[in-house]
Amino acid sequence: MSFPVYNHDKSRELFNRATKVIPSGIYGHLGPAEGLFIPVSKWPLFAEKAKGSYMWDVDGNKYIDYMCAYGPNVLGYCDPDVDAAAMKQMKLGNCTTTPGKVMVECAELLVDTVNTADWAFFMKNGNDATQGAVMCARAYTHRKKVIMFKGYYHGVSPWCMKKDYPGVLEEDVANNIIIPWNDIPALEKVIAENKDEIACLIAQPYDHGNFSDNSFPAEGFWPKVREICTANDIVLIIDDVRAGFRLDLAGSDHYFGFEADLICFCKALANGYNMSCVCGKEFLKSSMSGLSYTGSYWLSAVPFAACIACVNKMKKLDTPKMFLEKGTKLTEGLKAAGKEHGFDLVTSGAPALFYLRIANDDSLVLHQEWIAEMVSRGIFLASHHNHFINASLTDEDIKHTIEVAEECFGIVAKNHPELF
Amino acid sequence: MKDAKTLAYINLYGILGALENLCELDEEASKLAEVKKPISVGIAVKGGPSATLTFKNGRCRMEQGTEKCDVLLPFSSCEKFNGLIDGTVTPFPSKGFTHIGFLLKNFTGLTDILTKYLKADEEALKDEKFFETSTKLMFYLIVVAIAQIGNNDSIGTFSASMIPDGIVEIAIKNSVSAAIRVKDGHLVAIKQKPESYRAKMEFGSIKLARDLFDGNVNAVACIGEGTIEMSGLINMVDNINRILDRVAIYLA
Repeated sequence: MSFPVYNHDKSRELFNRATKVIPSGIYGHLGPAEGLFIPVSKWPLFAEKAKGSYMWDVDGNKYIDYMCAYGPNVLGYCDPDVDAAAMKQMKLGNCTTTPGKVMVECAELLVDTVNTADWAFFMKNGNDATQGAVMCARAYTHRKKVIMFKGYYHGVSPWCMKKDYPGVLEEDVANNIIIPWNDIPALEKVIAENKDEIACLIAQPYDHGNFSDNSFPAEGFWPKVREICTANDIVLIIDDVRAGFRLDLAGSDHYFGFEADLICFCKALANGYNMSCVCGKEFLKSSMSGLSYTGSYWLSAVPFAACIACVNKMKKLDTPKMFLEKGTKLTEGLKAAGKEHGFDLVTSGAPALFYLRIANDDSLVLHQEWIAEMVSRGIFLASHHNHFINASLTDEDIKHTIEVAEECFGIVAKNHPELF
Repeated sequence: MKDAKTLAYINLYGILGALENLCELDEEASKLAEVKKPISVGIAVKGGPSATLTFKNGRCRMEQGTEKCDVLLPFSSCEKFNGLIDGTVTPFPSKGFTHIGFLLKNFTGLTDILTKYLKADEEALKDEKFFETSTKLMFYLIVVAIAQIGNNDSIGTFSASMIPDGIVEIAIKNSVSAAIRVKDGHLVAIKQKPESYRAKMEFGSIKLARDLFDGNVNAVACIGEGTIEMSGLINMVDNINRILDRVAIYLA
């Protein structure tokens, strides 16, 4: 079977309009530059609508979307239960002078759900959460330095970027200490070298950086980190913005067998309604209370209502188990399809957030060519980022994805007779 | 912030190094490099770079070091050498006084032509051939500057340390191509198309390249528009671009 190749004329037309009034047309991770649309002509640039696992672009092309808006789509786009709860709250009020009671109900639900949570503090984006957590740790410890792991990504505030990024000063990142992932001796060394200066260690629950295979913690790594942080009065922060609720509804620290002091959530919290939060232990509640940290829309009621409906539905469906099964089925199918054509498709990370890499060449060019063929036939994947499973993904969707993958592997192999 | 040492490396290997390309691209320059007997001019900067430019058969070649030069121009500091490029310092040879005529006529003539292309005025750029030559020379200068900033500038070395080993090709479509070879965070500029690459960045046209060099367009926007294409190990290109951002600080 041959799958039709999409064109993106209307996307391009709209993009050209966008570039006149918006810097770079579409900026950030949803844009063609940071999103690594290689080549850009193969990708849709604007969506018309979305439902379940599908997204339709402005040219009318339908995609099975494995990026899930980079994570927020956890139950399926426009989930009826979440949307109904949001609409009900919208009729009552959203952005009001005093917050709605639904805020308290949402915090209570998160405290009951997240293993390490004694409280919840709400914001809008993942970056708000990681920044708030680091501020809380600094307020509590009266220390300034922050340990992170090589390849880290904790948002876009200057402190968590790198000194060579445009607009970032060396002073902004002067208190960051970067050590290799899974390296306990390196952690012990920097703590000894910076005695009583380190406020916190912030990390994602496993290494899901880009351009390289995702890497799980070594056996005993996190319990040892926990022990070291406790012994040195260092606040342990888990940035669960990306993986949160996809591995374990009690938090990814719970999944890996330890307890964070602070844990940051965003993407899967409310199925696309805009909110994030930091959950934390009782001993940090006073410090969090003392922060001067707020925003115009942080306590709006609609996302809280959506969050309650989303978390309850994830519990009801046991989505982590579902994601593991669906992700495993999909990635095994993709690997087998690649093998048929001589491709070594490496899958890494949790199946719920699978990362793909064709390992036949060290430049990733074959991988980029395969991804571009997939996208232009309706399977929306990213070139060099982990993907996301959502609850509405069906066995039929997975079967179709693998069929398209088989065709695309064949096309790339045919384009490279020198290799196959 | 720019530092004098990094600037000296760019001035020697990038700007004076562009004489190699100038002699290939400009007839008048080639004639100035047409000497009866090959002549080599060494430049030694204390605490900085050193290189020898050899002029032979209308061509110019640059090599590192000053061991085999006929004329030696020593500079006591990077600042003094940078003054030569700015036109505020007059060089005085410590070796090869008999070749003073070449220095005063040919060498000065060559650098004058180079300046005309690298600091081109808008009127001159309206001529298509001049525009093309000027942009190609800027292209080579920028590629060399990327390597020198990556090896010497404090922020540049940080970016360079993040680049995986391998070759990055930088090209202008249907025009010139060059490469940066990376090994353990050290960068080497190669002013010719590489046989293979691990990552590639290609500017869609010479006009686009010029706009990018002049700061009239942004690379991120161009990638979206499809006028700059990237492929391969993108974190190589990404970090090269961070260094490229700093080129303007030194060449302004």
